[in-house]
Order: sequence, then structure tokens, then C-alpha cells
Amino acid sequence: MSETPAKLPVWVDLILIPLINLAMALAVSGLIVLAIGESPLEALDFMLTGAFGYDQALGYTLYYTTNFIFTGLAVAVAFHAGLFNIGGEGQAYIGGLGLGLVCLAFDQSLPFFLILPLAIVASAAFGAAWAFVPAYLQAYRGSHIVITTIMFNFIASALMVYLLVNVLIEPGQMSPQTRAFAASGQLPYVHEALAWIGIEVAPSPLNLSILWALVCCFLVWIFIWRTRWGYELRAVGLNAAAAGYAGISSRRMILLAMGVSGALAGFVALNELMGVQHRIMIDFTAGYGFTGIAVSLMGRNHPVGIVMASLLFGVLYQGGSELAFEVPRINRDVVVVIQGLVILFSGALAYMFTPYIEALYLRFARPSMAAE
Amino acid sequence: MLKYLLTIGMMLGLAMGPAQAADLEPAVVFDMGGKFDKSFNEGVFNGVEKFRKETGIKYREFEVTNTTQREQALRRMAQRGADPVLGVGFAQGPALEKVAKEYPNVRFTIIDSVVDLPNVQSVIFKEHEGSFLVGVLAAEASKTGKVGFVGGMDIPLIRRFACGYVQGVKRVNPDAEVFQNMTGSTPAAWNNPTKGSELAKSQFDRGADVVYAAAGGTGIGVYQAAKDAGKLAIGVDSNQNYLHPGTMLTSMLKRVDVAAYSAFKGAKDGTWKPGIRNLGLAENGVGWALDEHNKDLVSAKMIESVDRASKDIVAGHIKVHDYMADNSCPF
Amino acid sequence: MADFFLLFVLTLDSTLRLATPLVLAALAGLFAERSGVIDISLEGKMLGSAFVAAATATATGSAWLGLLAGILASVALAMLHGFACITHRGNQVVSGLAINMLMAGLTVTLGNAFYGQGGQTPPLPDEARFLELVWPGAETFSRVPLLGTLYAELLSGHNILVYGAFLTVPLTWWVVYRTRFGLRLRAVGENPAAVDTAGISVTHLRYLAMLCCGVLCGIAGAYLSTAQNAAFGRDMTAGQGYIALAAMIFGKWRPVPAMLACLLFGFLDAAAARLQGVHLPLTGEIPVQLFQALPYILTVVLLAGFMGTAVAPKASGTPYIKDR
Repeated sequence: MSETPAKLPVWVDLILIPLINLAMALAVSGLIVLAIGESPLEALDFMLTGAFGYDQALGYTLYYTTNFIFTGLAVAVAFHAGLFNIGGEGQAYIGGLGLGLVCLAFDQSLPFFLILPLAIVASAAFGAAWAFVPAYLQAYRGSHIVITTIMFNFIASALMVYLLVNVLIEPGQMSPQTRAFAASGQLPYVHEALAWIGIEVAPSPLNLSILWALVCCFLVWIFIWRTRWGYELRAVGLNAAAAGYAGISSRRMILLAMGVSGALAGFVALNELMGVQHRIMIDFTAGYGFTGIAVSLMGRNHPVGIVMASLLFGVLYQGGSELAFEVPRINRDVVVVIQGLVILFSGALAYMFTPYIEALYLRFARPSMAAE
Repeated sequence: MLKYLLTIGMMLGLAMGPAQAADLEPAVVFDMGGKFDKSFNEGVFNGVEKFRKETGIKYREFEVTNTTQREQALRRMAQRGADPVLGVGFAQGPALEKVAKEYPNVRFTIIDSVVDLPNVQSVIFKEHEGSFLVGVLAAEASKTGKVGFVGGMDIPLIRRFACGYVQGVKRVNPDAEVFQNMTGSTPAAWNNPTKGSELAKSQFDRGADVVYAAAGGTGIGVYQAAKDAGKLAIGVDSNQNYLHPGTMLTSMLKRVDVAAYSAFKGAKDGTWKPGIRNLGLAENGVGWALDEHNKDLVSAKMIESVDRASKDIVAGHIKVHDYMADNSCPF
Repeated sequence: MADFFLLFVLTLDSTLRLATPLVLAALAGLFAERSGVIDISLEGKMLGSAFVAAATATATGSAWLGLLAGILASVALAMLHGFACITHRGNQVVSGLAINMLMAGLTVTLGNAFYGQGGQTPPLPDEARFLELVWPGAETFSRVPLLGTLYAELLSGHNILVYGAFLTVPLTWWVVYRTRFGLRLRAVGENPAAVDTAGISVTHLRYLAMLCCGVLCGIAGAYLSTAQNAAFGRDMTAGQGYIALAAMIFGKWRPVPAMLACLLFGFLDAAAARLQGVHLPLTGEIPVQLFQALPYILTVVLLAGFMGTAVAPKASGTPYIKDR
């Protein structure tokens, strides 16, 4: 995808340039904050304190981070096969349906340690199934996957609203949502888990799904870089025609990549539904699927980068809501603006500064290289 | 951080003198509609603003944007030592219940939901009674014998508005036809004026000449459509008569402003009590609005008719059906 | 029967109102995609324009100045999209997403800062809106059965932007298929290298296409806040940018079929409002959600090749790199 100039060393490309882009986004955000009459530095201070300042804040930050790891990985896997999966939102939503059905069906009869694997499988299977249709249409009928996945987001939303309003709603409830899962259908919170071993931390929505997110990072790394499938998948992503001559079926790889991608997106439900809400709710995906695209791009489609980018967006979400809490004139919408700017500068305009940095680098670094 | 708190403290101190001021730190958590929805949340906002202006006591506030934030915001308020904490809307019920258990010494008030805890005051309204009254007015004002209702999100609460309205209309004119539309089944339905305007137009097309909107921000589109088409409209929750004088027949008042104000005021005066407050016509919790903006639209005969209905309801001669009692509307 | 006919005509009337912003935005998307730029930020551009148009109309009392300002705002966003995707060869989908998100936040933030109404602009007086134009003799003709009803209810009584939107369709057709610019536009979306070889700047052409896209989205946005409604409200586009995108694809990247798709989607929306809670013979009550999802389902079915083939411009989505 991106033609990175080979001349630049890795640290410039992977660390310096993303930092410069981030700084640009924050600078423009600062101007907006200034324009509405608040101090940008104070805002940044509130934001960082709100995201890291105390254990509960950190818990919230990591809770958001967990969602972004899942959706970021989902986008990245598809990306390696040259596909743009913009449907993470819908896949996560439908994944939540699968997970919710398992929890609602078995939470009275099965213990937690049996429900958990079932829930993981169900969210993955439903998410994958929702990604499979656009994948099939791309592979066999040539439909543009960006468009079909956008459409599938809307279809998923309508379907879920229909099911929640007409079928799954808890009788007597105002909001379209199911009944709460019983205890065996709930993932333990991290503060609960830490309490078992005698460590007291303040309660936060952070739950054990973050461990699964990290496991997924590792599995994705193995899958993409250490298995034959991953190799073939990347080959298709780099050049489908050439991969075809090498005997790799690009159709199969499209299905595989999107299946894995959808499954990863489906895991958002693990954090949101089984971890925090304990029921299926309307719009629980709250845009995490879309943010995953930015996460994946910033993280250069690598699990390590994705964890870092997820953390950044976790800070934006949590720090942003704390900022809105502290400074009444900065409301929730300013935070959306900041997120939009980060996506703009780190995603769409990611290579804006590359030529300048390249020139600078060459001017200052070359003499020293010549000296060696 | 500390400096910030000190500054706030100093500002509070300057504003209204030392003593009880520092003790009371009220807080309000608005729901997703936002405090300027011209309707439900805005009613609460007006109530707490009134409190601030009268007493000089500032309050903390937050507008939630996603479901997780409800609990987070309520808890942060309690953590910061806010007391009382006001939760707005039925959607905050479960979150408030959880947080209220964690902070048994903090007083919570929730509007539109019942949370049964010793430190929670639940305020609910008999919206069907107020809707009955505006239904009476709608039927009196209608020349075609056809009136409309546009709801926001399709939930039992809104059906309760609709059912009371229909009953009121039929009380005056048993042959009247009432068209009902709901904007949608997700929270987005509270904020879709374009859809509201189309729904209202579709009702006007079928002959309706008065439309009642219980739809939050969506109502703005309904009222605009009524104005453009030269029909009458009925506002909801807050007094919305001022929006389009000459078009707004009246507004069904749901005194969330009073509930919000008295939650804070009661806490200040020491009269705040936990438990359920179910406010209907008799308690002045609901009603209809008559002011300089709509006095030309409401004739003496209409006033008489609606006053009679009002008295009959309070006296128990008219039983207004509560949709939420049995999830059905017999009309 | 006459009643039923009137209701049907009124539903069509509502269809025209609802389809207008879709038609404009779909044509906007058509210009962008024909030139090889995927634009999912139709939504954001409409939203930005709706806000700026309403704010300007509030300040100046003129709907026309509002329209102009809305167009300028939308064009500026289109240029930003171009700057990211054409000049810097950034990812087109990401740039579109960023613009959508940016506008969702920025419009409300500025609205709040200006008016303190939670992002809404103050209600516009009639003078500052595009009002319905009643055609001559509509009142008299309306008594003539059938044709009179059609004339009075369907043709007459819309605001100027509705008529403008539908006039834009043949205009777009003419530009795309009958002008030199249109020929080059189509070529640059199919094979930019060939256009480049012919000595025509790919960058220049794509920026021109984005300019057209921006102007059309700008009109669509102004329609929302100064004609269809009388104020700007948070997220007032409510996904119409995406429906327009679907309509453009459904129309296979051609102006007239795209317009028909918009009319179909608009009709679904209008019918949904009227069929709500109505029990139909055979099917019973149709869930509203089905109507909401139908545009997307139809588009997917079409894309799947079950309704003829839909082929996107070949180069759409790929930045052009000259030196290869």
C-alpha cells in the first residue's frame, strides 16, 4: 500500500513520522480549543490526568483500548490481504448477537468456564459470518468490498434493532435490550480478579477480555508472519496476479482474511457485552469498528503498533470524557473533533511530511554517513 | 488539579458567602439528547439553572455520549463529593442503581425511572393525564375531526403519552380519528427533525389539522412542518409555545424542571426524601401551557372544557388509562 | 379511489422532497468516483454545508447567501479530501471517514460556541429559507381529476432547490457524456496513465471533479437546513450521505439511473412513514427496519451481480503515481 521511502531508517518511519502526525493533529485541536476560549495546555493536562492519573482512570483507558485492539487487528488482517474491511462495526454488532444468544441460552444451566469458550466461538463465528458475505461477493462476483461492508453495517444495525425491539427485548423494559446475563455469563472485572490475589484497585469496566485481546495480538502475529496461510495471504495482498501464478488462490485468501477479520471484530462483544453491559444493547459498538481503521493505519498493521495506537485512542476516549467533565465549555463534541483530526493526520495525510523529513534527514544524516 | 479545585471553591465562596454553600455540591448528568433538546433534558436544565440563579450554588454537569459513560459520570460525580446527584431519564436507571449502592451516603434523584434504594428519590410522572388534557384541546381545536401524534422512540413511555392523548381526543369527539407515528426504535429517533417533519406532513396529507409531538428534538421538525402547512401543533415536556406563536396550540407540561429544582432545593433545605414521587395532575406534575404566545388560539370554551376534564381527573371521575400498567391501549 | 389516488400522489410528493438531497449527493459522488476518487465523505460535506448555510442565513437573513456559504464550506472539504487523496496519495476511505467524523464534531462545537443551543442554529424566519413555490393556476387545476391533482400536488409546491436538483441530472449527463471535460473525466477514472500520456494532468482533472462534488454536496446540505428544515441540528444528515452513495452505485455510476435509485430510496422512506403500523393484506405489518435496510440490501444484491453487472470505474480508489 504505502510506498515508504527505503532511504529512511526504520525508527524515523515507524516512530518519528507517526509522532509528528499526532503532534499536528493535537496542534490543530489546540487551536480549536483556543478558539472556544479555553487553554489548550490545561486541556492536555486534564486529558492526560484523566487517562492515567489514578487507577480507575487507567482502568477506563484500558477498557477502551481493548475494543480498539480487536477492531484494529480486524482491519489489519484484511489489509494484509489487500482488502479494506470497513465493516468492523457491523461484524462486532452481529458478533454481539452470537455471544448474547449463547449467554442467554446457557447462563442458567452452564458454569462460567463452559460458557466462556462457547461465547468466544459464537462471537467469532457470527462476526466471521457477517464478514463472509461481502468476502464471497468480492471473491466470486467482484463486488467492491468497501461498499458492501458499508452496506452491511447498515443492514446489521437494522437487523439488530428489529431483533432487540421485537424478539429479544426484556418485557417491561423501556430501552430495546435483553435481560441481564446471570453471573456465569459475565466476564470477571480486572479489579475483581486482582482482589482475589489481594490487590485492591478502584472498580472500572476493565475486564479480563483485555487478556484475550493480547492473546489475539500474538495469534495474529503468528498467523500473518509465521504460517503458510499468512504468507499466502500477504502474497495476495501484495500482488494478487503474481500470487495466482504461484498457485495461490486469491479467492480462498479473501475468504480466509475476511473470516478472521470478522471474527476479531466480533470479539468486541466479549469486552462490551460479557465484560461490561451484561446484556445485548442497541448500538453497543459505538463507532469502535470505524476507529479500528485509524488504529490499524497508525499501528502500521502490526500487532505491536496496533496495541500502541489502541492505547492512544483509549487515552483520547477516556481522557476526552474527563476533559469534558472538568471543563464545561469543552463538551463531548470537541472530543469527536480531536478524534477526527487524529484520523485525518495520522491516516489520510500520513505521508504529508515524509518528503520534508526525508530531505531533512538526508541533509543532516548524509554527511555523517559519508564520514563513516 | 488542586489549584483548579481551589479556584472553583473560591468562586463558589465569592458567589454566595461561606456557610452552607461549601456543603452542598449538586450535580446533574444529562442523557444523550443533551441539555438543549428543547424538551426533556432542557426542562431539567431550566430547573437546575433556576436553582443556581436563586441560591448562587453552582452545580456540576455532564452530558453522556455512550452507554458506558452513564455509570462513569454518575460515579465520578459521587466520587468528587457531589451531593445530591441528579440522573436524567429512564436509561440511567440501571447505572444509577449500581452507583447508588456503592455510595449509600450520597443522595440520588432519578427522573423517569424507579430505583428502589434508601438513598434514591425516584420521580415519575403521569404523562397520560397531561396528554389527556392536550388531547381534549386538540379535539376542540380540530376542524376536520382528525388529529395526529408523532412519538420519538417507540417505547412504552411514549405509548403512554399517545394513549392518554387518544383518550382525551375521544372524550370530546368519539368519532375523531387519531393518526399515530413513531419516529424510530433507537435513541436516534429523539433527534431526527427531518423525519419528524415528514411524518407530520403525512398526517396532514390524511386530513389531520392538529399534531402532538412527544419526540424530543424530533419535535422541532414536526412543529416547523405544522407552521409551514398552517396547521396546529402541541409541544411536550417544556413549554414550547414560544417556538412558533400562532402555530403552537399548547404544550403538555411535564414539570421535570420542578422535579429537578426541588431535588436540589430539597437537599439544600433538608427536606429531600427518598422514595417514589409519582406526579400527576393533582400534584401539578403535569399540565398544559397557556401563555401570551397561544392565548389567541385557545378560546374560552376550550379552556372551560379542559378545566372540566382536569377537575374530573383529579376528582377521580375520569380514569385516564396508563399504557404502562398493562402494556395496552384500549382506545 | 380518488382518495387513494390522492394519497399515492402525496406519497410521491413526499418522495420528491426526500429524494432531493440524495439526488444531489449521488451526483456529487458520481463526479468523484468517475474521476477515480472514492468519496465516502458525502455525509460530512453535507453536514458541514448544512451548518454553514443555516448559520449564514441566520446572520444575513438571506437563504441565497446561506446556500453560497454552504457550497463554499463543502468545496473546502472536497479540496481537503483532494489534498489528502490526490496530492498526498493518502487513503481515500480513511480521509472520507476523517472528514465525516470531523464535521460531526465541529458543526456542533461551533454551533454551541455561537448560539449556546447544543449545536442547533436558531430557527430561521421564512424570509431566510427556500420556500415552496406554487405554480400558476395550481389552485384552479387542483379540481381537475388526475392531471389536475398531479399538477397541483406533485409538480407545484416545491422549493427551488428541489427543481434545481432534478435539473442537475440532465446537466450532469450532458457534462459527463457530451463535453470534453466529461470524456477526460471518464477516462481518468478508467485509465489515468493513458490520460497522463495524452498530456493531460490527472491531478488537475481529479481536483476539478472534486470541485463539482463539493458544489453539489453543498447544495444538498443547504437544502437540509434552509429548505427542508428551518435550522441546523446535530447529525441532521442521519446517514443520507451513505444512502446517496448506495444510490450512485445502484445507478451504476450513471446520472439518470442514479436519480431513479434516489427516487426509489426516497419512495421507500416516504412509504415507510405512511405504512407504519398499517396491516397490509398478505404480508401483515411490515417492520420499519426492513424499509430502512432495503436500500442497502438492494444495493448489495445489485453489486452481487444478480441485477445486471455493476462495474466501478477501474481506477477508483487508487491514487495515481505519475512516475511508475
